[in-house]
Formats: sequence, structure tokens, C-alpha cells
Amino acid sequence: MSTMNQRLDGPRRLSLPFSVNLKTREIIAAYIFLAPFLIFFSIFFVRAAISSVSISFHDWRLLRPSTPYVGLDNYIDLFDDDIWWASVQHTVYFAVMTVTGTTILGLAAALAVTRPVRGQGFYRVLLYIPQLMSVGAIGLIWNWLLSGQFGVINYLLSFFGVRPINWLGDPNLVLPALSLATIWWTFGFPMLIFIAGLQGIPEHLYEAAKIDGANGRQAFWYITLPLLRPTILFVTVTGVIGHFQVFGQPYIITGGGGPGRASWTVIIYLYQNAWVGFRMGYGAAVAVTIALIMAIITAFQFFVISRRVEY
Amino acid sequence: MSKRSFSALALLAILLLSFSVISVQAQDAAPTATPNVAEIGSGGTHISFWNGLTGSDGVTLNEMLTQFAAENPDVSVTVEIIAWNTLYQKLQTAFVAGTYPDVFMLHASEVPQYASFGVLRDMGDQYTSGGGWLPDEDISATTMSGMVYDGVTYGIPLDNHGRGLWINKTMFEAAGLSTDPATAPTTYEGWVELFQKLTLDANGNNALSPDFDPANVVQWGYTVGEWPNVNFLAALYQNGGSFLSEDGSTITINSEAGITALQQAVDLVYTYHVSPPSAGFDTWQGFGAGTVAVLPTGTWYRNQSLLQSDIDSMAWPNWQWGPNQATWFGTHTFMLPVGLEGEKLDAALKLIQWVSQTENQVIWASSGQVPARLSAQAALNAEEYPSNILLGQTFGAYGIQDPRTTVTQELLSLMDASLQEALNGIKPADQALNEAAQLMQEALDRA
Repeated sequence: MSTMNQRLDGPRRLSLPFSVNLKTREIIAAYIFLAPFLIFFSIFFVRAAISSVSISFHDWRLLRPSTPYVGLDNYIDLFDDDIWWASVQHTVYFAVMTVTGTTILGLAAALAVTRPVRGQGFYRVLLYIPQLMSVGAIGLIWNWLLSGQFGVINYLLSFFGVRPINWLGDPNLVLPALSLATIWWTFGFPMLIFIAGLQGIPEHLYEAAKIDGANGRQAFWYITLPLLRPTILFVTVTGVIGHFQVFGQPYIITGGGGPGRASWTVIIYLYQNAWVGFRMGYGAAVAVTIALIMAIITAFQFFVISRRVEY
Repeated sequence: MSKRSFSALALLAILLLSFSVISVQAQDAAPTATPNVAEIGSGGTHISFWNGLTGSDGVTLNEMLTQFAAENPDVSVTVEIIAWNTLYQKLQTAFVAGTYPDVFMLHASEVPQYASFGVLRDMGDQYTSGGGWLPDEDISATTMSGMVYDGVTYGIPLDNHGRGLWINKTMFEAAGLSTDPATAPTTYEGWVELFQKLTLDANGNNALSPDFDPANVVQWGYTVGEWPNVNFLAALYQNGGSFLSEDGSTITINSEAGITALQQAVDLVYTYHVSPPSAGFDTWQGFGAGTVAVLPTGTWYRNQSLLQSDIDSMAWPNWQWGPNQATWFGTHTFMLPVGLEGEKLDAALKLIQWVSQTENQVIWASSGQVPARLSAQAALNAEEYPSNILLGQTFGAYGIQDPRTTVTQELLSLMDASLQEALNGIKPADQALNEAAQLMQEALDRA
């Protein structure tokens, strides 16, 4: 009988020992659901981030008992280091190439797989599969593909009379080659976001444009692209943040960021100092600086793009 | 989606991603190598053992430990094989967290760093001079010196492993060259000529021919790619240079001898065209595929060469490019953490003593490495272990080791990237070495 009553009454409501309105109840319920995430986020991310800021003001070595306070010395050393600035340059170059590539390819793929074609779901899965692979697998695959000795890419190019290219040994080619590998690996995420964005564009706009005589290209430039601006903003902002942190591809594919330091990114620079040199204080200063750079880039993107975003 | 909710969502995503960077300090930024874990034995006294023997040497050691466990049924061992660079990181964090292994292996060059941290057990009581079982005189003076820091002996050496050459005998014979190591050149010019005779373009011209096409090489005489650091160290000492000043306070790799040593390697790539650039060329693959005639590698290549039944190869001593002879070698060393005691200490010492017995050291030679004990070296069969014997003799006669500082890994890492810049034509040899020396000096001064 009680079960029947519960079914008739609907789900049991959150009962509180004091009187609150509906909105407050909803807020409390939301925080209860969020609590497990927030607790772990605070312990494993926020605490670590605050700790990193503190460590960056010390000469901190893992196994040394003393960690003297050095003020801003780590930051001053960082800004004086040519290798750091070269790493920043490599990272920006890589991120710009990769974000541009993933955005264009992701949009093109999304447009292709939102058409009502047979096997649409299959194609979506097929294009998204690379995104599911680990960076280790991607690194090994592209190391083989790009090999100057026995790589598939050079083999295919040989049919066009192209002599073997040392993709990973040429400092001018290594970052574009790594970007190519990353675009292939990660364009699936922007594709998914763009599919969602495309599905949100009202169909009647296209119908009206068609009645007015617009062709497919005009519909894309004057309807699809403007209405996708919020999506493009999201894809590029998250893309810049993600690709600015690139580590696995150069580290695995080139075997450490080579040739020389030609594919050292800011995270490889951080890794070398923190985990090879065991300079944790300096490494923390690098991490904090990277976070600040990304915050500035993100704010800039928001400022520039969001002014023209239509929601 | 409303403007407000979109902004909130985007900001939340940005916040999460930003935190993931700033908190990278608390995580291992490197892709973690998959540890190869082996549970050996089922005895009640359990010990853990970490080492970086990721090649066939690790397989050999695990087989030996299986035999050890059979002979010592009261002991069981969990062996974790972790790539050396990851092992160094994991050990440091493990000591901080108090989760360090009962036994671990390091290179002798790491002894000063870990000893200076105060985490290593004094192993002097294991040598006969301290009342123990290992005769001091059965370890060479050079190897023994690697175990000591500030007058305290911290390690039990397992082996000497170091550099030599593997030559493709078929290519030598086709070029009209003798495969007898006694005929090896003793000057840089002599080695260049040998490499030139062994380097062929697609038309079959060698690098001495006026018709040689350096853009279309199908067989390389040599390759500068494998481990430039240790090749450079050998050439540096051969040319009369040194890594550190005598008092250990100054980096001296950018001396005239150092620049000559690096330039010699660079010239093999860009002047004589007998070696590919170091990046983008897999040296072992090249040798295995029959596109490299002389492979500079180490004792650890023995089992790989045995697997390559279609390549007729043999070991040669390292090249000599300067007036002196020199070849790099290192030492794998058993270590115990300070504070290990009771049954675990007894079991750990039992394991080390068992592996270090002369007859078991001979088994260890099947890994390719040269046993640390001189009695085991003397017991090696020349038919079965030619490369161990040949290269082992060179280590004893003119071997050099890594510098002994508390920041050796950092110094070598800095040097490696700069050497690669020169070997890949990014920077001239003198500029690369000067920049490396400056960075390394700063690291040394910080120590």
C-alpha cells in the first residue's frame, strides 16, 4: 500500500528540518549532487594548484630537507631563459596550427556527417575513433608513419618521385608533422561539438533562404557560420587550452622533444626541469606561468570573438 | 543556449583545464611507462625489487631470481622493471612518500645523488674489508670507486656495461675490409676512410667515389644517433679533454678537445656523408635491416645480434678518433634503503649475495653485460661470450665513466639536447657546446 502511495505521490522530495522555498531546495540539491566532484576537485586540483604557487617561491628539491624561500627568483630565472622563450614560441606555433586544423577539419567532418546519408552513425563513429586512442598509441603509430627510414608516408610519397623526407629530424618540419598527427587524433571532439551546434540551427532559416534563392555556399556563409560562432568560440578556446599543454606527442614521437630542442613545448620544458632536474620550485614557477599565459589568451579570445557571437 | 549559460559553461571548462596545468606539479607529467611486474616465489618473507632493466637483461635477471626463489623457498620477490628515467622519478617520490622498495638498482653515477640525500644503506659490511662475503679484490678499482661516496661504500656492483661496435661482416667483406678487430684504425682519418668505403649510394658508389650521391644513400657506414652523450664522452677523453675540472667545480666540455670531439661526429654527417643525422633514424632498425655497416652500441646488443640470424655480425672495440683510447662504461649496482631491517634486510642481502656469486655472475653474462666480479670475468667461455670478453677488456684497459656529481642526470640531460642540436645541423658544434656548458655550469653551481 505504501509503495502504491509513493508511486501516486511521485518521487520523494528532499525533506529539510527548516522551511525553504523551491529555488533554495533546488540549489541545495544541486550542491549535494556536485559535492563528490567538488570534494575530490578541491583535494586533488585546487589544493595542488595552491601548493604549486607556494612551491614556486622556494628552492624546492624533492629529497632535500631544506626548501629555502627565494621570492621571485624562479620567475626571474625563467624570464631570463632563452630555452623557455623558444619553448613558448614552439608551443604557440603548434597550438595555432593544430587549433586551426582541428577546427576546420572538425567543422568539415560535422557538415559531412550531419547530411542524411545511409550509414551516418557508422561514419560518425569512424571519424571519432582516433580521439579515443591513448597518446602512447598515437605516438607509436605516428612515429612509424613519419619515420624517415621505413615510414608509410615517405613510401606513399615515393610513388610521386619524392625522396625520403626526415620529418622528425628536420627542425623546420617537426612541429608541422606533430601538428598533423594531433589534428588527425583530436578533430573528433570539435566534430562532435559542431554536430551539436549544427543541430541547434533552426531548419526554417535554411528553408527561407532557399525560397529567397540562396545556394548552398551562401547558406553556409550567411546562416551556418554566423550561428555557429558560439560553438566556434568554445572549440577554439578549449582547443588552445588543450593544445597549449601538448606533451605526449612531441615527447613520444620524437623521443624527447627533438631534434635537439626543436619540439620542446612549455610542458616539456616544465617536465625537464621538474622531473629530470628535480627542480620542483622552478618547475612550479613554470606551471604557474603557463596557467597565467593561458588565462590571458583565453580572456583575449573571449574579448575578441564573443563581441560578435550571436546566441 | 542562453548567453549567460553559455558563458558559465565555457568559464567552467576553462577553469577545469587551467587547474589541470597548474596542478601538473603534483602529478607525473610524463607518460608513465608500464611497469613489468613479476611475482617470483611464494615464501613468507616478501621483498620488493625495482630495476630499470627493460631489455633482455631484465628477462635474464628474472630467470635468475626464479632460481634464487627455488633455492630459498622462504623468500618471495616482486620485481618491477621500470624504464630508467621513470625509475629515477619514481624512486624520489617513493622516498618522499615512504613507499620505497626493499631493494633497487641504480647506475653507479647515481650513487652521489642518492647518497647525498641520505637514503642509502652503508653496504661496507658486505665486503671482506668490512667483515662481509664479497672480496674487495674481486672488483676492479674503477668499478669499486663508483660504489663510494664520501668514504662510504653504498653499492654492490652487478656488472659493467658499456660501449663497443657491432659490425656487419658481410658488408666489410664486400668492401674488401678485414673483420679482424686488430686491424681497426687508430686515427680519426682512418675511421673516416673505413666508413667511406662502407657507405654506398643507390648506384653502388662508395663515399670515396667522385660519383657518390650523398642524397641517395642506401647503406650507411656509421650512425651517430645512438646515445650521443656517451659517444661524445669517449671522443672527448680520446682528444685529451675532460668533463669536469680536477676540483670538480667547473664544466670543461667546451674545451678545444671537446669542440674537436663533437665536430668529428658532425663531420661524419655533413662533410663525409657516412652517417645519417641523429634524429629520425632508428639505429638498431637500420642495422637489423642491413642499411648500417658499423653500429656503435653496447654490451647489451649481444642478444639482439643473436636474434638477427640474417645479419652476420660481431663485436669490435670502440673507435679511436683522438690520440688516446677511451670508451664509456657504467655499472648496474644493487642498493638498499637506509632503515631496512629484520627479515626483509636478511632476505634482501640474501638475494644480492646469491646473484653476486661467481657462478651466477657467469649466468648474468648471458644478458650481454660484463660481470662485475673479476673471477666471473675470468670464467667466461670465449666461444659463448666473445663480446663480453672483448668489450670487458676495453673497459678495464681504458674505460671511462659518467662524472660523479650530485646532479649528474641533470647535467647529462642538458648536454644531450645540445649535442643533438649540433648533430642535426641546428647549431655549430662550438655554439652548442658553449651553450651546454653554460647551462650545465649553472646546474652544477645550484647543487
